[in-house]
Amino acid sequence: MTFLETNGLTKAFGGVRAVDEATVSFQEGRINALIGPNGSGKTTFFNCVTGMIRPDSGTVTYRGRDVTGHAPHRIARAGLGRSFQLCRVFPRMTVLDNVLAGVRSTGLAHRLRGAHNPDDIARARELLARVGIEHLERSEARDISYGQQKLLELAGVLMAEPDTIMLDEPAGGVNPALIGRIATLVRELNAEGRTFVIVEHNMELVMSLSDHVVVFDRGRPIASGAPADVQNDPRVLEAYLGV
Amino acid sequence: MLSASSHGRTPAAIRLVAAVVLLGLVLAFPALAPDPFILSVGVVIASYAALAVAWNFVGGLTGYISLGHAAYSGLGGYGTALLITEAGVNPWVSMVVAALLVGAAAVPIGIASLRVRGASFVIVSIALVLILLLVAQSWAGVTGGSNGLRVPRPFGTDVLRPEQHERFFYLFVALTLVALVLWWLIDRSRLGTGLKAIREDEDKAQALGVPTFAYKLVVFVVSAFFTAMAGGMYALWFGSLDPIFQFSILTGSYLVLMSLLGGVRSLLGPVVGAVIVGYAVEFFKNQYGDTQLHLVALGLLLALVVLFMPDGVIPWLTSQLDRFRPGGTSIREVDAAQLAEERKALEEAKR
Amino acid sequence: MSLSLLLQSLILGLLLGGLYALLAAGLTLYFGVMRVVMIAHSAFLILAAYLAWFFTKQTGLDPLLSLFITVPLFFAAGYVMQRALLSRLRPATLTMMSVLLTFAIALVIEGGLGYLFSGTQRRIQLGYSGASLELWGARIAVVKLIAFGLAAISLLALFLLLKKTRFGQALRATIQHREAAQLLGIDTDRIAGFGFGLGLATAAVGGTALALDATIYPSLHWHWIGPLMAIIVIGGLGSIPGAAIAAMILGVTQALLQIPMGTTWAQTVFYVALFATLMFRPQGFFGGRLAQRF
Repeated sequence: MTFLETNGLTKAFGGVRAVDEATVSFQEGRINALIGPNGSGKTTFFNCVTGMIRPDSGTVTYRGRDVTGHAPHRIARAGLGRSFQLCRVFPRMTVLDNVLAGVRSTGLAHRLRGAHNPDDIARARELLARVGIEHLERSEARDISYGQQKLLELAGVLMAEPDTIMLDEPAGGVNPALIGRIATLVRELNAEGRTFVIVEHNMELVMSLSDHVVVFDRGRPIASGAPADVQNDPRVLEAYLGV
Repeated sequence: MLSASSHGRTPAAIRLVAAVVLLGLVLAFPALAPDPFILSVGVVIASYAALAVAWNFVGGLTGYISLGHAAYSGLGGYGTALLITEAGVNPWVSMVVAALLVGAAAVPIGIASLRVRGASFVIVSIALVLILLLVAQSWAGVTGGSNGLRVPRPFGTDVLRPEQHERFFYLFVALTLVALVLWWLIDRSRLGTGLKAIREDEDKAQALGVPTFAYKLVVFVVSAFFTAMAGGMYALWFGSLDPIFQFSILTGSYLVLMSLLGGVRSLLGPVVGAVIVGYAVEFFKNQYGDTQLHLVALGLLLALVVLFMPDGVIPWLTSQLDRFRPGGTSIREVDAAQLAEERKALEEAKR
Repeated sequence: MSLSLLLQSLILGLLLGGLYALLAAGLTLYFGVMRVVMIAHSAFLILAAYLAWFFTKQTGLDPLLSLFITVPLFFAAGYVMQRALLSRLRPATLTMMSVLLTFAIALVIEGGLGYLFSGTQRRIQLGYSGASLELWGARIAVVKLIAFGLAAISLLALFLLLKKTRFGQALRATIQHREAAQLLGIDTDRIAGFGFGLGLATAAVGGTALALDATIYPSLHWHWIGPLMAIIVIGGLGSIPGAAIAAMILGVTQALLQIPMGTTWAQTVFYVALFATLMFRPQGFFGGRLAQRF
């Protein structure tokens, strides 16, 4: 059974094909990385996979199920969690409530129960402790630092119990110490059985963290494989350096 | 002030006492009112409170601002009146049935207006009032058109006017309380967390697995139901309906102003706003009668609130006080978009 | 007889559609540059009509001449409104709060007009008010033709401005992708202000055209804003040609429906179309990529 793959995925904005017949498959249980020059369509691809944008054509298959064009919350429910480029939290909710927003709800009765029930809170606190910001749980999310917001976003994604986590530039705009912390977290979570798909510009991080790399250029994959192989692929060099 | 999402800034006991005292004062109002006119003003304000709390199911919980809630109160009023006169149903049953029907009608309306974000919701909310006004005026055979529609009184003729006012005052207060309790329950539920997530960042909420469309639709229908209940009750009290006043954009904008002024994020905000704005509206009508100046005043007040205190008058006052407090930090006025902007600059700098 | 009636309705519908198209283009401009649904657009339309009426009443000159005052005035007002008021709103809540703010402006205009000129219905009497042309049995009032001509010329000018000039290019870039436009060195804030000014200028032209042949009163703007908003949604928010096509189609449909249904019921066509559009094709029918996201 296929894990997560796209077939001929295409999305055009006006005349520009941001994603152009992209056929990509990711490997289960691994840390997959998606790299490519600026404007190569990585984020649009991400948005098509997670349902934020409806692709013009092509399919997205997750665990053998066609999820093309499904609403984002259904894709999230299917087990595909994601973070956003530039990081998005709910600015005027407390850190704790931010995490609680990720609780998986099923059925009306469950939804009408109090949001602050002990089980959920315990789990949320556990996740906050795991990313290391448990001391901030009462602060409003807009009042904590950017790096802390990145960690908070990750905790929220984890609350929704995804099997697969897609991170859009987890190292973007954060200091080296925090990058190290995020990398460690990703490795740990991966060791626990979660699959990652990461869009990232920081090559050092990509090369040290990932098992499988897909290189994007002009809306489609041009190379894929182990980090070391991809690094030496002439097509990749060409795309990056324009030689 | 009972603030919805803050846990334990004020001890629960004090808040409970404050709530009981407040409720006691409200319930004592008919006995304290010096004359029937003041009492009738009280009824109008209580009806505004019920409407504003009903509006706040959508406005406060999801951040979607409807300017057309008069559509639902008007439909509730006409529905109640027609069920009584045409079908001979008991007035109170009519009121509830009419509100249920309006709630059902709100489903397709919600589906059309909530599917896409923001702008189209507002457009539909306004269009709905305009179309209902057209229909109510043209369809004179049913609605009485501009001549108005008489609504039979639910209480016998032996009940005098002041007595009527008093009873309806308590009825409106009861309706408001029921709506408040439900709002509070939703606010603290998981549904409420999902709704507030929608208000803050709808994409993000969806990505976390919140079924945003269904959630919005639920509170939209609840809101329409309570608005129609208040509209039906108003019809029973007032005794006659005129399309111009029932399907009025102005009524809808009063509700928005009340809720915004009081604070949409708090439980009692809309009630506070209803008291302030409702009193002001009645005062203005009394002082300046029919001139169009009340429109100017309403417009200016709305603009001021939107520009300077979009979170409501109470958060605004506290932030103003904080400025003068020694060592007080100024409230950070940042939100998602601004944060994103700052971040972009940060990233640009890093590259 | 019925054929000439049909023809007459068709022509009247086209003429009215022209005015709708111009005004909808204005609304589209605001939406394009700032994602703002400008409720006060039709209130400014009525304000311009009142100014034209007042101008003629005071000076005895042709109301068309008032355009030389109202167009620059409205352009400046639009610029100031965008820069001083709307740009102050927080980006996160802009869509909702801008609706309320422009709604508030509409109320102030309506109330102000009612206070200054009373609620009495007003109408300009001109030498050529009663004149009409006969075309295969259809009688078309000259003032309606003038109004249409005015709308058509303005719309054409707007189109050329957007397509042919550097300013138009900057404006279109701002509409399509604000950040990208900034990277190209475009001062998008100023451009947004000018976009607003242009939008309001369409209301000035439209108001004068309206004053030529309609009876005006302060609360008339509510009858205009609904149809106009329906037009921009159906046209696909953000697309001027889309809005123009939707305006013409709906204008004609409305005029044709007036024959069997009467004026009031015919108005509902806008709302029915709006509702159906949102149900079945929320991104609108004619272009307008913006709608998907708003």
